[in-house]
Amino acid sequence: MPSDDQTDPDADTTGADPAEPGPMFSRFGIASAVLAVLAVAAVVCGGLAWSRHSAAEAARSHQSDVLQVAAQWANTLVNMNAENVEASLATLRDGTVGELNTDFEAVLGPFRDVVQKVKAATTGQIDAVAIESVRRDDGPAPEPALPDGLAERTESVIVVANATSQNAAGKPQARSWLLRLEVAEVDGQLLISRLEPLR
Amino acid sequence: MRNLWRLLAFDLAAPALILAALAGIGVVLDWPTWWVSVASMLGLLVVQGVLVNLYLLRRDGVSVGTDDDAPGLRLAVAGVAAGAAVAAALVAHTHWTVADRTFEADRAAVVSVATEVAEATATFSPAEPTAGIERAAALMVPGSATAFRDNFGRSTADLAKRRITAQAQTVSAGLESLAPDGATAVVVMRTSQTAPGKSASRAVVGLRLSLQPSAEGWRVVDIAPLQRVDG
Repeated sequence: MPSDDQTDPDADTTGADPAEPGPMFSRFGIASAVLAVLAVAAVVCGGLAWSRHSAAEAARSHQSDVLQVAAQWANTLVNMNAENVEASLATLRDGTVGELNTDFEAVLGPFRDVVQKVKAATTGQIDAVAIESVRRDDGPAPEPALPDGLAERTESVIVVANATSQNAAGKPQARSWLLRLEVAEVDGQLLISRLEPLR
Repeated sequence: MRNLWRLLAFDLAAPALILAALAGIGVVLDWPTWWVSVASMLGLLVVQGVLVNLYLLRRDGVSVGTDDDAPGLRLAVAGVAAGAAVAAALVAHTHWTVADRTFEADRAAVVSVATEVAEATATFSPAEPTAGIERAAALMVPGSATAFRDNFGRSTADLAKRRITAQAQTVSAGLESLAPDGATAVVVMRTSQTAPGKSASRAVVGLRLSLQPSAEGWRVVDIAPLQRVDG
C-alpha cells in the first residue's frame, strides 16, 4: 500500500506558515507508509508460513503413502503360499526398483523354492510399520541402493509382521519378520529399492 | 496520478487486503462456525463500506482515498488493513508454524524416549540390579512405573544371583503414530544375555511403546512385544 499525503498541504500538521512549502511527508503520510510496510511484511510472513506448512503437510502425506506402500508390499511377502507364489513374486517384483529389481531372483528366488517345497499354507499380517528415524547399524554405511539422481526421495521403513504356516504334516509354525524396507520415489511412483532383514 | 495511486491503495487494495486476511484466518482455523459468523459480519461491513465509498466517488468525485480533507480516515483504513494482515500472519504462525515445529519436536522426543526405555528394560547388570529398571521407570508415567517395578523387580534378585548380564542396543526405531494425546513408537533392538560358563544368547527384539505427553515430556505408558516368536 503506497503512502499518501506526501505533498498534501491539507494533511500538513506541522503548523508551518501556509506560505512556506510544507515538509515532503506529513505525519499521516509517514504513518500510512509505516503501516503499508507492516502490512507487506505481514503478507510475506503469512505467505512463508503457508509455504512451509504446505511443505510439511506434503512431507507427512508422502510418509503416509510410503508406509502404505511398504505395508502392502510386505503383506504380499508374508502371505506367499504354494498356490500364489508365482503371482506374489510377480507383484513383489513389479513393486521394486534398482538392484533389488535386477537381482530379484537372487534375493527372493530362494523363498519360492522353500514355499513350493514345504507346500505350507501361510497367513501373515503386518503388525507395525514406522518411518525409521533412528538407525544404529554396526559396520560401514550401506552403498546407496539406487544411482544418484534416480530417486526423487527415499525413506526407510521398519516393518514387523507375523505369519503362521501350516505344512503338509499339519503342524503350525509361527514366524516373525523384522524388516527394513527402503522406499524410493521414482518418476512419481513409490517403489521398494532395498529389502533388509533386521538382525 | 497521485489520486489514482490513493484510489488504488486506500479504496481498493486496503479493503481487498482486509477481506483476504479474514479469508486467510478462516483457512488457517479451518472455518470454525464462530469464525464464519465473525468473518461474514466483518466482510459484509467492508463490502458495504466499499460500495458506499464508490457511490460517494460517483456522486461527489471524491473518495476516502482521494479526499484531501480526511488524512486521518486514510490512516485509519491503512491501520485496519495492516492490523488484519498482521492478525492473519500471527494466526498462521501459531496454528501452522508452531504446530509443525511442535510435531517435529514431539516426533524426535517420542522416538528418543522410546529408544531409551526399550534399551533400559533389556539391560541388566548384577553389580547394579535395579539400575535398568529405575532408568526405564523414570521415563514412564507413575502408574506404569509402579507396575513395571512390581513385575520386573522380583526377578532381579534371581538374575543377580545367577550373575546374568543383559545388554540391548537399538538397531532401528521410528514413529508409528503421533497425536496430541498419545503416540506409539517401534523399536527394534539387538539383545544379548550372558551367564558365567555359558555362551552368550543373542536375539533381535521388536517392541511397540505407547507414550503420553506429560509436564515432564513424553512418558511411556505401555510396552508390548511385536513378535509372536523369535525371528
